[in-house]
Amino acid sequence: MSTIDEKELVARCREGNDDAWRELVDRFGQKVYAIAYHFTMKREDAEELSQEIFLKLFENLHRYDGGFPLVAWILSVSRNLCIDRYRRKKREKSFRFVSDDAVTVLLKSEDDPASMALKKERTRLLFSALAEVPEDLAEILILRDLNGLAYDEIGKALELPEGTVKSRLFRARAEVAKKIRERHENRGTAGAFATLAVAAAGLV
Amino acid sequence: MSCREMERLFVAGASPADHEAHRRTCAECALLGREADESLALTDGLRAPSWPPTLRQALLEIPRQTVSCEGADALVASALEGEIVPADERRLQSHLSRCAGCTAAAGALYAMRDLAAPEPPPWLSTRLSAARPRSEKRSFFRKALSGKMVIAYAYAAALVVMLLGLNPTAVARKAGFASLGVSTRSAVTVAQSSIGDRLGAMQEKSLRALAAWRGRVGGYGRAAVMNAIGIVWKPEPKKTPNRPRLGKEGGAAASSEEFQLAGGRNREPLPARFRV
Repeated sequence: MSTIDEKELVARCREGNDDAWRELVDRFGQKVYAIAYHFTMKREDAEELSQEIFLKLFENLHRYDGGFPLVAWILSVSRNLCIDRYRRKKREKSFRFVSDDAVTVLLKSEDDPASMALKKERTRLLFSALAEVPEDLAEILILRDLNGLAYDEIGKALELPEGTVKSRLFRARAEVAKKIRERHENRGTAGAFATLAVAAAGLV
Repeated sequence: MSCREMERLFVAGASPADHEAHRRTCAECALLGREADESLALTDGLRAPSWPPTLRQALLEIPRQTVSCEGADALVASALEGEIVPADERRLQSHLSRCAGCTAAAGALYAMRDLAAPEPPPWLSTRLSAARPRSEKRSFFRKALSGKMVIAYAYAAALVVMLLGLNPTAVARKAGFASLGVSTRSAVTVAQSSIGDRLGAMQEKSLRALAAWRGRVGGYGRAAVMNAIGIVWKPEPKKTPNRPRLGKEGGAAASSEEFQLAGGRNREPLPARFRV
C-alpha cells in the first residue's frame, strides 16, 4: 500500500468510517502484536500493550501527514509505550526467566522433540541475553531481526540515519551472541561444579 | 573491541566475500562475525506470534470507546452546553484519562464556566429599572412611580431637607427609613450621596470661578492702570551713548548699576495717588 493510499485510509478513519478502521486494524494488528510480544514476552502484556498502542494511534490519527510509511509512524507513536514496558520488564527481571510457553509460541513446529527442546533452550537464552544489552541496541534487534522491518522504516520510526540503524544492529547481534556464549560458559562451569559436588558427596 | 572493520563492512553493505576476506586476516573480527551470524540464525528460526481473535475484536471497538484529540474538542463544547449524550461522555472521559493536553484544555474551559459571578452593587437594580425603555401607554400613576421619578422625589426630598438645615440621615431615620423597601432605600441613598457630591462640586466650581474672576479683574485692572500711568508719565527715552564692549578695547568695566534688566530701568517714582 502506497503512502498516498495509507493517507487516504487514515483520512477515512478520521471521518469515523468503520470499514477504514477495520482495514487498518487488520493490516497492522498482527505486526503491532508481534512487536508488543517481543518487547514483553508475555501474551497478556502484549495484548494490553497492543490495545494501548491502537488507542494512542486512534487518538492521534490527525498527526499523520503521509510523509512516511504508516507502519513507521505507528512505531514512532507507540515507541515510548513499548520502551516503557520494556524497562518495566527489565526492572522486574522477568525477562531473565522467560517461560516455556512464552518461547513455544515463537517456534516453528518440528517433529523431532530433541531438536525442539534445543531450539526452545536457545530461544530462551536469546531473550535472556536481549534483556541484558542496552535498550537502544535491543529495540533495533527486535524491530529488524524479530519483526522484519526495513532499515528505512526503523530509521524513520526511531529518527535515526540508516547507517546508524545498521551499525547498531550489527553491534546488537554481536552483543547478544556474546551474552549467550557467556551464559553457556557459565552453565558449563556451574555444571562442572555440580558434578564435583556430587562426586565429593559420594566420596564422603 | 579494537577492530571495527566488520561493522564498517556491514554498514556499507559489503558482499559476503569481503566479509570472509577480512575475517581470515583478523581473529577478533572472525569471532565477532561468527557471534553475529549465530544471533541472526537464532532469530531467523523464530516465527511471529499470532494475535488472538479477541484482541482483534477489542481493537475494532476502539472508536466506540474513545475519541481522537480533534473529536474531543467538539465533545467538550457539547459537554459545556450540557448537550452530550452518555455514550459520548464515556468516550470523552476515556480520552481525557490518557491525554494530558486535552485534559488541560477541557479543565480550563470548565474552570472558566464555574467562575463565581460578582455580587451586583446595590444601586444596579434601580439603575436598570430606570434605564428600562419607556412605554407610550403607561398610565399617570405608573409614570409617577417610575424609577426615575422615585429618584427625582428622593433628590427633591433630600434637597428640601438640606435647605431646611436638617440632617438628611437623621430625618430619614426618624421618618422610618429602615422600614422602606430595599429599592426605595437604595434610591434615597444614591440620591443623598449624589446631591452631596453635586453640591460639593458646585461649591468648588463657584469658588474656582470667583477666584479666577478676582484674579482676572485685579491683574488686568492693575496692568491697565499701570500702563496708562506709564504712558502719561513716561519721560523721553534718553539716547544712551555707544560704549565699548565690556572688558574689551580698553573700555572700563561696567558698574553694577549698568547691569540692569529691561524692566528694571530707573524711573521716577510715581506720585502717591497713582500707587496701587
